[in-house]
Amino acid sequence: MDEFVKLDDITKIYRMGEVEIRAADRISFAISKGEFVVIVGPSGAGKTTVLNILGGMDTATSGKLIVDGQDVTAYNARQLTGYRREDIGFVFQFYNLVPNLTALENVELALQICRNPLDAKEVLEEVGLGDRLDNFPAQLSGGEQQRVSIARALAKNPKLLLCDEPTGALDYNTGKAILKLLQNMCRERGMTVIVITHNQAIAPMADRLIHIKNGRVSHMEVNRHPISIDEIEW
Amino acid sequence: MKKKALRKDFFMEIRRSLGRFLSIFFIVAIGCAFFSGIRASEPDMRYSGDAYFDEKNMMDIQVISTLGLTDDDIAAIKEVDGISDAEGGYSVDALCTEGENQIVVHVMSLLPSMNQVQLEEGRLPETENECAMDVDFLNESSLEIGDTITFSSGTGDEITDTLTTDTFTITGAVSSPAYIAFQRGSTTIGNGTVSAFVCVPEESFTLDVYTEIYAQAEGAKNLTAFTDEYDNRVSEVIDNVEAISADREKARYDEIMADAETEIEDGRQQLADAQTELEEGKAEAEQELADARQKLEDAQAELDSGKSELESSITELQNFRQQLNDSQAQVDSGQEELNANIDSLNAQIDQLNAVKEQYNALASSGQTDDVTMATLRAMYEEIQKGETAIADAQAQIESAKAELESAQAQINSGWEQITSGEQQIADAQAEITSGEQEIADGWEEYYDGEAEAQAEIADGEQQIADAQADLADAEARLADMEEPVWYVYDRSNLPEYTGYGDNADRMRAIGEVFPVIFFLVAALISLTTMTRMVEEQRTQIGTLKALGYERHSIAGKYLGYALLATVAGSVIGFLIGEKIFPYIIITAYGIMYQHMHTIQLPYNFQYGLGAAAASLVCTLAATFMACSSELKAQAAELMRPPAPKHGQRVLLERIPFVWKRLNFSWKASVRNLVRYKKRLFMTVFGIGGCMALMLVGFGIKDSIFAIVERQYDEIQLYDGNVILNDSASQEERDQVFADLQEYDNVTDSAEGLLTQISVGTGDGWYDVYLSVPEDVEQFSNFTVLKDRITDERYELTDEGAVLTEKMAKELGVKPGDTITIRDEDKGDLNVQISAVCENYMGHYLYMTPALYESVYGGEPEYNSVLYKVPDRTSAEAEKVGEDILKLEGALSVSYTTDLVDQVNDMLSALDAVIVVLIISAGMLAFVVLYNLNNINITERQRELATLKVLGFYNGEVSAYVYRENIVLTLIGALFGMVLGKILHQFIIVTVEIDSVMFGRNINAVSFLYGFLLTILFSCLVNGAMYFKLKRINMVESLKSVE
Repeated sequence: MDEFVKLDDITKIYRMGEVEIRAADRISFAISKGEFVVIVGPSGAGKTTVLNILGGMDTATSGKLIVDGQDVTAYNARQLTGYRREDIGFVFQFYNLVPNLTALENVELALQICRNPLDAKEVLEEVGLGDRLDNFPAQLSGGEQQRVSIARALAKNPKLLLCDEPTGALDYNTGKAILKLLQNMCRERGMTVIVITHNQAIAPMADRLIHIKNGRVSHMEVNRHPISIDEIEW
Repeated sequence: MKKKALRKDFFMEIRRSLGRFLSIFFIVAIGCAFFSGIRASEPDMRYSGDAYFDEKNMMDIQVISTLGLTDDDIAAIKEVDGISDAEGGYSVDALCTEGENQIVVHVMSLLPSMNQVQLEEGRLPETENECAMDVDFLNESSLEIGDTITFSSGTGDEITDTLTTDTFTITGAVSSPAYIAFQRGSTTIGNGTVSAFVCVPEESFTLDVYTEIYAQAEGAKNLTAFTDEYDNRVSEVIDNVEAISADREKARYDEIMADAETEIEDGRQQLADAQTELEEGKAEAEQELADARQKLEDAQAELDSGKSELESSITELQNFRQQLNDSQAQVDSGQEELNANIDSLNAQIDQLNAVKEQYNALASSGQTDDVTMATLRAMYEEIQKGETAIADAQAQIESAKAELESAQAQINSGWEQITSGEQQIADAQAEITSGEQEIADGWEEYYDGEAEAQAEIADGEQQIADAQADLADAEARLADMEEPVWYVYDRSNLPEYTGYGDNADRMRAIGEVFPVIFFLVAALISLTTMTRMVEEQRTQIGTLKALGYERHSIAGKYLGYALLATVAGSVIGFLIGEKIFPYIIITAYGIMYQHMHTIQLPYNFQYGLGAAAASLVCTLAATFMACSSELKAQAAELMRPPAPKHGQRVLLERIPFVWKRLNFSWKASVRNLVRYKKRLFMTVFGIGGCMALMLVGFGIKDSIFAIVERQYDEIQLYDGNVILNDSASQEERDQVFADLQEYDNVTDSAEGLLTQISVGTGDGWYDVYLSVPEDVEQFSNFTVLKDRITDERYELTDEGAVLTEKMAKELGVKPGDTITIRDEDKGDLNVQISAVCENYMGHYLYMTPALYESVYGGEPEYNSVLYKVPDRTSAEAEKVGEDILKLEGALSVSYTTDLVDQVNDMLSALDAVIVVLIISAGMLAFVVLYNLNNINITERQRELATLKVLGFYNGEVSAYVYRENIVLTLIGALFGMVLGKILHQFIIVTVEIDSVMFGRNINAVSFLYGFLLTILFSCLVNGAMYFKLKRINMVESLKSVE
């Protein structure tokens, strides 16, 4: 297995006065290129810490993160920004669209800083929003907003698509549609997708499932036969 | 608030959001401080001025009479209703020399209790030849304490008519409450301007009447100077004083008349005595002269007889000499005869001897022959006979010889007699010569004496004639003498006294505008902050609502929060502001009023209360409005995240031509600007306010400076104006103009009429100067009539008069309108206005002589001469003025350059005020921008965090935010320029004093400075914001929407 993303003993310690909180405690795992990875765990287990470190939004106290052969943990702040800019696509739980920009402009916002982006319009058509290009976020439903958010992440043509509870603020059907979109992107484009969720139910659709508990990887399983989201119900 | 939990939450809230609490506290404090402080400056200036005058026991009323004032007058004034005290004083204007310059000083006596001077250095004068000098002048002049100065009167009279001595020793430097600033007033001597004042003891004056009386009004001391209450009180008392003035004038007149008549009578008596004395003296002198002549003539006669006697003696002597010569001749011939006799005797002797030898030879021959014997006998006989004859002859010769010798002796004694006679004659002649000399001397003496006596007599006669003329003159004067006139003045007659009040008024005008802006901004800031706070706590409000708390309890927290911050801010702001701002401003004015050290800064509660009430209303209303909209919503709704704000298309998008060209960062910025309207408005207002304040600060300076530039360089092209003496003769007055024409250093001069008249349009009368040039053609060389805005030149025509702008505005007249001139003799006269011209100092109405004639029905009497000097320096103009004032026909000279000094005085004080304004504006800009940016960043933290997650570099994130700030700053600055221009117009019109029009302009460079400073402040704030942006945590992007 090629180790496209490799975490090696990633530890994150927050100091609150006298108290030391180990948000991530020697987390190690590896992900291959093109995999659809689901990281699950209860609230406060350390999922977000892992995501932050993976996304270059935070630095580990110790340990090593290798992405596509590059040692991300050795990056300085500026290199980290470059890493987020070029290598990472981020899908937020609350979409985080710029309310003042239309769907198309929101995608363009990400593209203007990127080296070889995809065409914003095409990506939006791909996520099924071809007819809502000129709508403002407030004029879109939650699912539609999340699609814009995904389009924004995809259009950057990143190495890694990180999704933080992408369905957390959505209803059941919309949530499923979004997960389907993500799965399709992974399959069709060969994009490495990491979804963080507390929803155990979606575990079967993952190529690789990582359980995190109390800041540690409790166990990791590789699913040889992931099923389509359409077949999953919860 | 009974609810304990809520109360705890309230205090916790303050502790947790201390930054926000403090930001409201400080902005309110600054707003209140500025508002109440600047406003309080005006009353504080009046209080300080009043305290100074009270401390110096300043007079309220000054009475001056054309014929002096007596102790009776003082007593009479003291009796006047409303007068608490009165004192008499002396003063005189005198010339003195300082270095190369001749200056005019105002010499005044130290008063017993009023107008106390402040000793700045040295000691006060004690004896009558000591003086204390104006400290301002002493510091700048070459004179020092210990030097002596000599005064001269500058008029035909002697200074010692007024002062006991003309030389004084300077013992100290003093300041006087009568001269609070730099001006020392004007005078009719020297160059027309008083340069300094000098205080001397009362005893230094020899005058027998006071030159002025100072009085104080009852109750005026308790009133504040420069207020209407004070002015009204004093003018009431002045009316009372004026009521007795007619009686006192009459009394003084009668007294003078009586005195003068006595004096004239005395004079006449003296004159008569003198005449008698002269007559007597004349007679005596004539007698003496006659005696002297007689004596001289006698002496001459005596001398003459002596002379003739001498002549006869000389003749006698001459005869005697002749006789002697004759005798000598006789003696000489006798001698010759004798000698001949002796010779013949000798021959006889020789013959005899020969005979004898023959005899002897015969005898010896022995021959005894008779013959021989006979012969011998005969021979012997013969010898005997011969010898007898010889003896006889010898005897004869001897006697002749004796005779001759006695004759010779007689002759010799005769010569001796002659010699002594000659000596006597010589002596007599010497005597005569000296006698003649004596007589000549005697005559000389006589004639001298005569001349002297005549001169003395002529002199005496002249004196008597003079005395007679004087007496006649005095009688004529007495006959002509008019009753004295009393002039009763209040303090405004003192130089620059009113200027202080004007400055206070100016401060009020500034205080009415500037702090309001400041205050408005402060109110807006606290409004935004409170709104933001309520919005942030949406969920908490929802929770409390869900828990069942009443609306007022929930709102109470925010209202309480705002109340506490505002009240605390107001109180602190008031306490500090009302001390600091008036202090700075009064100290700044101290540059102009150097000796008014008294600073009174009482709290003016009305301003503080006003400011506090206004800020309370603003913040509480804002909080209430913010709360009420949230409180109206359902609890459930509040606990859900708010619906995202609608993005909206802006107008610009409808112009694809522009919109397409914008990259979307700009698109986003433009949309953001429109979306956050409140922020747009606030920032534009804040920046605009800052820009406007600075612009007004610079603009006030520009406008005041414009008075000099425009008035001096563009309008009033002359350098001096000589006012002719009404009471001088026409020739003397013509002489002034002629002299000015001749003068080397005068390039041009023109005659004209300049007189103060009263004009109006029906309601209210205003004083303006009527100016009628003698030569209309030449007039434009001295005064330029033009429109301020269009620069169009106007010519003086016979159709109508030209009025200056400020007065035209005051009267509300336009070209073509008619105004009324109120003339004391001729009643109301109408004149049409043909044009309104630009002018900054004073008010003028210009007419051609022909128009004047048609309006007044008589030719103008020219009473002034304008002149120009080549380099337009004050020194040149003053030199000319000094020379011209020596002429009888010139009364006074005013210089255009005086204006420059006045303006510079104004500017020096304003400089500090302007610095205060600019610093305040900077503070305002900083606080506003910081606060707004802060709110902006907090509000958009999620958006900015998202951008960071998307991989925007710090610089790019900052640029995203700054783009909006830059646009807002630019819009704000532009808005500020417009606002500043409007404010400036308003302030300039309000701060103007009646007789002055300030420029209406703001220089381009002021716009530039204001703009650059605004940008600088904006950059500083944005720089500070950078760190805040950098610190935004990306994790914020993961949080749910609040």
